[in-house]
Amino acid sequence: MADSLQPVEDPSRAAAIRTPAVIAPGHTFGTVTDKISAIVLARKTPLGWYAGFGTAMFFTLLLLVSLTYLVLTGIGIWGNNIPIGWAFDITNFVWWIGIGHAGTLISAILLLLKQTWRTSINRFAEAMTLFAVACAAVFPVFHTGRPWLAYWLVPYPNTMNLWPQFRSPLIWDVFAVSTYATVSLLFWFVGLIPDLATLRDRSQSPVGRVIYGMLAMGWRGSAHHWHRYETAYLLLAGLATPLVVSVHTVVSFDFAVSIVPGWHTTIFPPYFVAGAIYSGFAMVLTLAIPIRAVYNLEDFITMRHLQNMAKVMLVTGLIVAYGYLTEAFIAWYSADRYEGFVPLNRMIGPYAFAYWALIFCNVVVPQALWLKRVRTSVPVLFIISLIVNVGMWLERFVIIVTSLHRDYLPSSWGLYSPTFWDWSTFVGTIGLFLSLLFLFLRFLPMISIFEMRTILPEARVGE
Amino acid sequence: MTSLTNTADAAIPELAGHQRRLLIAGGVGAAVSLAGLFFDVRQFLQSYLMAYMLCLGVTLGCLALGMVHQLSGGAWGVVIRRPIGAAARVLPVMTLLFLPIAFGMNRLYGWTNADLVAHDEALQHKHLYLNTPFFLVRAAVYFLVWNGLSYFLNAWSLEQDRTAEPRLARRMQRLSGGGLLAYGLTITFASFDWLMSLEPHWFSTIYGVLIVGGQGLSALAFLTAALVWLSRRPPLNRIVVPAHFHDLGNLMLAFVMLWAYFSFSQYLIIWSGNLPVEISWYLHRLQTGWRAVGLTLILFHFSAPFVVLLSRRAKREPDLLVKVAIGILIVRLIDLFWLIAPEFHQNGIFVSWLDVVLPLTLGSIWLACFIRQLRGRPLLPVHDPEFESALGRIIERGAPPRTAH
Repeated sequence: MADSLQPVEDPSRAAAIRTPAVIAPGHTFGTVTDKISAIVLARKTPLGWYAGFGTAMFFTLLLLVSLTYLVLTGIGIWGNNIPIGWAFDITNFVWWIGIGHAGTLISAILLLLKQTWRTSINRFAEAMTLFAVACAAVFPVFHTGRPWLAYWLVPYPNTMNLWPQFRSPLIWDVFAVSTYATVSLLFWFVGLIPDLATLRDRSQSPVGRVIYGMLAMGWRGSAHHWHRYETAYLLLAGLATPLVVSVHTVVSFDFAVSIVPGWHTTIFPPYFVAGAIYSGFAMVLTLAIPIRAVYNLEDFITMRHLQNMAKVMLVTGLIVAYGYLTEAFIAWYSADRYEGFVPLNRMIGPYAFAYWALIFCNVVVPQALWLKRVRTSVPVLFIISLIVNVGMWLERFVIIVTSLHRDYLPSSWGLYSPTFWDWSTFVGTIGLFLSLLFLFLRFLPMISIFEMRTILPEARVGE
Repeated sequence: MTSLTNTADAAIPELAGHQRRLLIAGGVGAAVSLAGLFFDVRQFLQSYLMAYMLCLGVTLGCLALGMVHQLSGGAWGVVIRRPIGAAARVLPVMTLLFLPIAFGMNRLYGWTNADLVAHDEALQHKHLYLNTPFFLVRAAVYFLVWNGLSYFLNAWSLEQDRTAEPRLARRMQRLSGGGLLAYGLTITFASFDWLMSLEPHWFSTIYGVLIVGGQGLSALAFLTAALVWLSRRPPLNRIVVPAHFHDLGNLMLAFVMLWAYFSFSQYLIIWSGNLPVEISWYLHRLQTGWRAVGLTLILFHFSAPFVVLLSRRAKREPDLLVKVAIGILIVRLIDLFWLIAPEFHQNGIFVSWLDVVLPLTLGSIWLACFIRQLRGRPLLPVHDPEFESALGRIIERGAPPRTAH
């Protein structure tokens, strides 16, 4: 906020606690603009981009094949059964939605908290959010079995006089996720406008000028434009803030308002939100580390960013571990035989491997982040971020499948194993996610040019 | 800059008088409530637990906020670092004040009754955790951890004042990382032990988080009130600007929302599950006269402070903000009343005169100890690594110009 007491950068504190800068020294307004816009406009598309995009497209096509076959045949091609009515589909849905949370957190909450280090990572974190939400939406829509009737989820006056069940958290999900997608898209696009105008002005090709020109919506950079822009951006940040909490809270209600042992527990809302941010930051690191290496963006995405993200991962990871601990303790403390059975079944039941892998990935490995040596080692951070991604996927799998497969009646216990189509749909959404990301890297500035300029020493007027 | 390094005692001479008066008030209150102890031991202990948890909440909340600030930085924390430290140094007194609860536990906690446990399968299962020796050992561990954290952080802070050694900032940061983790775990189990086990059959996994949020809010409300008072006296009157209150107001708003979020989540999940063991906790709260207390909490622990703190003007106006802060401290007490009292009077609402006298008594004693701790040190941490960047500008040039939004 404008009347912040905190200076743009805080040299004395930075020196005292020895943190690297958020932008490498020696940059000016011109070099920042050149360096970021050149990736889109001037530099030759690297061969690696074609290779990466091609691979990602291959898996996107696999997704299309899987979904086509699903629509033609029915969701019986998945391994879902009774009692395990939710399995890979909902696991993947929750995983992708969770990944999206880092974008909103970085763009909205860190903006309101005046954290300048968000500047170079917010743009692609927001893009990542959008793509993750798109991937997430695939699963519940196709899980309905008749996706062409998915609009029935939306309440509208109709001749059948049918309304969705407003008391069901599943319908709250429809509202929460669609609001989230809309606000994230608006936030991302509004943030892009000044940079789209920069690309319009710098583009050498007539096609580029027209397309970027239309997207820039007549941005001229007048004081008036900036004033309106700042107000709109701050308002959108305010609107997006509750969404960071609300979406995953509603997702946690999907489980917690039932009475399935292992789902029905009051810690779920905050613990799901922390888990979402945890996995989101892990994904941002997984993407940022290779991108900064390939496009030589070490000046803009500095060690400070990587370290801060590592710290956020450590904190949220500890909250998630706290969730596991209280869940297990209260399951015993409740003296309820069904509640008490859940953690035991997770630890030594048929899915014990998934449970222990999850504990290893989410609780044991991230403890390395306490060490500064680990937080400053890029390859180690990359590996930890991958492990956390896997761990958070396993967490949702364990919560969903192990709770459903053995509940109150032993006669209705069952087992689940994923089919080829479960895997192909999941891998396919990863392909879709990466394809969209590759297109974004190629055609839009992945770092906010104008915001980067504001954190340069040159921008400190009157200090 | 010399006046900045004077102790609070030298800067604000009236502190000594306030301390004395509060101590007298506390003494009178203690004498009066001791009479209550003779009439109704159980009621005394119940009210005492409530008053104690409020004072402990402010103390531990300050300790935790101090550790958060060590890690996060920010101008909001620099101006309240000294009140935070003074509050945390009341912990030894809070440790002594726990003794009545330890001695009275047989009358507070049903699970200490061997006859009751013998006829209750669930309580037999829980006996491994809920038994007198283990309860006391756990309490000792909690106090050891809290006192240890407070001791080292305050000792290093004092050394920082004397030597301006930059390595101390780093050391305090390191301890704060692990310290917050230890605080989170100990306060969770302490809240299970001291509050949740009042109804030994009932359980809720969010309970610890709810108490942590409440302690954070209590501490922020107290610190805001303290800062408003100090900002009218030297040396802080030259330093505190509306933006400091604005930051504290925003933090209070965030904690008000967190409390509402945790409480609502717990209620919605238990209400929709409607399982006998869980819903019973809400049944005797919502289907009897206690309902009024629940509605009071919705209105005054959430709605009212939420609406007021949304306003930018309210957050920058110390006269208004201090009212909100004191109001929050009062509803924090009502929230603890809601958590504790219905377990003792399940058939309907009951307020004892001890529910008023004991919080005032413990509050006065706590405040006297706080002032005593505040007096001995300067009111500003001039060697905090952030001091120059957070406050230096303001001291040299007066308050920064206000810009609108």
